[in-house]
Amino acid sequence: MSSITRVALRPETPSESRLTLADLQQFVEHEAALLDERRFEEWMGLFADDGAYWVPAGPGQESPLNHVSLFYDDKPTLGIRVQRLRNPAIHSQIPHSRTVRLVANFKQETHDADPSLYRVTSKFVMLEDRPGSERRLFGGRYTHVLRRKGDSLEIVLKRVDLTDCDRSFPALTQPF
Amino acid sequence: MTRYTNEYLRGLVREDRVHRSIYTDPEIFELEMEKIFGRVWLYVGHDSQIPNPGDFHCTWLARQPVVMTRHLDGTVHVLFNRCGHRGARVLNQECGNARVFTCMYHGWSFRPNGELSGVPMRRDFPETVLVEPRSGMARLPRVESYRGFVFASLDPAVPPLLEYLGEARCGIDELVDRSPQGEIEFWAGCHRYEYNGNWKLQFENMADMYHPPACHASTVGPDGRQFSRRPGNRGASAPFFADNGEAIVAQTGVRGFANGHSSEASLFREEQAGGIWDDYRALMVRRYGEERTADILKNRRHSMTLFPSVDVLIAQTSVRVIRPIGVDRTEVRVYPVRLKGAPPEISIDIVRFVNLTHAAASFIQSDDLEAFERCQQGLASGGTDWVLVARGFGQELDEGNGVLFGDRSSEVGQRFQHYAWRDLMSAADVR
Repeated sequence: MSSITRVALRPETPSESRLTLADLQQFVEHEAALLDERRFEEWMGLFADDGAYWVPAGPGQESPLNHVSLFYDDKPTLGIRVQRLRNPAIHSQIPHSRTVRLVANFKQETHDADPSLYRVTSKFVMLEDRPGSERRLFGGRYTHVLRRKGDSLEIVLKRVDLTDCDRSFPALTQPF
Repeated sequence: MTRYTNEYLRGLVREDRVHRSIYTDPEIFELEMEKIFGRVWLYVGHDSQIPNPGDFHCTWLARQPVVMTRHLDGTVHVLFNRCGHRGARVLNQECGNARVFTCMYHGWSFRPNGELSGVPMRRDFPETVLVEPRSGMARLPRVESYRGFVFASLDPAVPPLLEYLGEARCGIDELVDRSPQGEIEFWAGCHRYEYNGNWKLQFENMADMYHPPACHASTVGPDGRQFSRRPGNRGASAPFFADNGEAIVAQTGVRGFANGHSSEASLFREEQAGGIWDDYRALMVRRYGEERTADILKNRRHSMTLFPSVDVLIAQTSVRVIRPIGVDRTEVRVYPVRLKGAPPEISIDIVRFVNLTHAAASFIQSDDLEAFERCQQGLASGGTDWVLVARGFGQELDEGNGVLFGDRSSEVGQRFQHYAWRDLMSAADVR
């Protein structure tokens, strides 16, 4: 995975000390930029081997196991998703979408279950434009559970709570 | 009044092709609402969605808001979701529980069986008006169910449900029998997707085994295998292509049934096995015996599509409901189901795998949605007026009881849908 660009933490951060909100914010903004720039392989590389990308289909959904989800991808499934996004025959992406995400209102929350984990929430708005289709607007809340890995972080869980998660959607091809 | 005669409507469907206007003409869509959706049995919901007295589940029959309820005596009813007073939609949440349903506008309230319960300042109404059944929440003229699948009809004279389902009822049996208790349960919500296209595009797709190699090409990995679309050690990523280079799925057969129903052969030849599936099988054998279990777990069918409202997804252990909204607008819901009595891990796996195949964000459905919208766009062109459903035409095998089998992804399923459409649309206006 040497091709993966890591977000180096601030050089003065000793590896034992707790990370600040600024560190976590920088990581989340970088992750959003990778998606905007269609650097899907690098985006996938941010996920821990036991990580998951989850977009619930119900407001306040408690579990991905007893209710359907728009996305609930473990790492191997993310691999299939990225491979498919790169497949020249992905008809729902010919032509492909362009997206831009604005992320704000970062808050660091304690993660009681495991002190080595960081939990950061943020609010986002995403525009999706695909030639020939109407502009789409999505918004909601990100929850990132991140784990220290060497001089960087890895994603244990990225949860996306869309404000309209329980409506019926036209095809969704872009991770949020 | 329509300018189309029955003879004209009949001519829009030929043996091996259909006229493009059946997908694009708003007037034909209005006639479909009346002559198809107004006359046959439509799927409403499953009775496990309303397990307790007072439970309600709101849905739509084509464009009409209805609610499936369980009355305080345990009986299941299907009501128009409309106040008997001034017509407001009474229930505004998809599901819930209440002893009475109260209208927000003037406070009229109704029992779960639709009867009028309370009227504020009642004495100012003539009592003769209030005792009319239509002053309650009116009931659908006909409601019948089969193994928990609740259907209703807007036509009081519709023949019995089982007659309408005919041989195709086996699709419901083949799903429900997979439960060691012989019962299924809706428990995990539903996927919802929509598209700017006619409802028949989704219907035809459900009987279409010819499209995957092209439409779903991006789901096949560099190793020539599709992603794993069902759990168990024999569900994992199967080879997509046969030795001769054809897609295996496109070599499978399709059946057409009377009244426009259709089914496709399963993508899988083997029983699921290994780990929890062995435990599941043992439970099945305890309930049904070895011989019957082997028969139930034979992968006969991918799905059974019941014209014009529901698709029983046997392989995916789910139920898909189609709701036409306009001539070029359709909403679809897909409910994964629990096989009651099966190990819980199996139900969880079903939910996870249906995410991959039927969510709006899934690997499969997103390409189908693209195809539906491209069809609607292409059909606006006047290049030719006809749409072909000719694959395997004339090569079908008559299996009796109105069932025709067509091998190698025959379009016999689509033809049967269109023949049913033709017969309903051109039927005399009064039965």
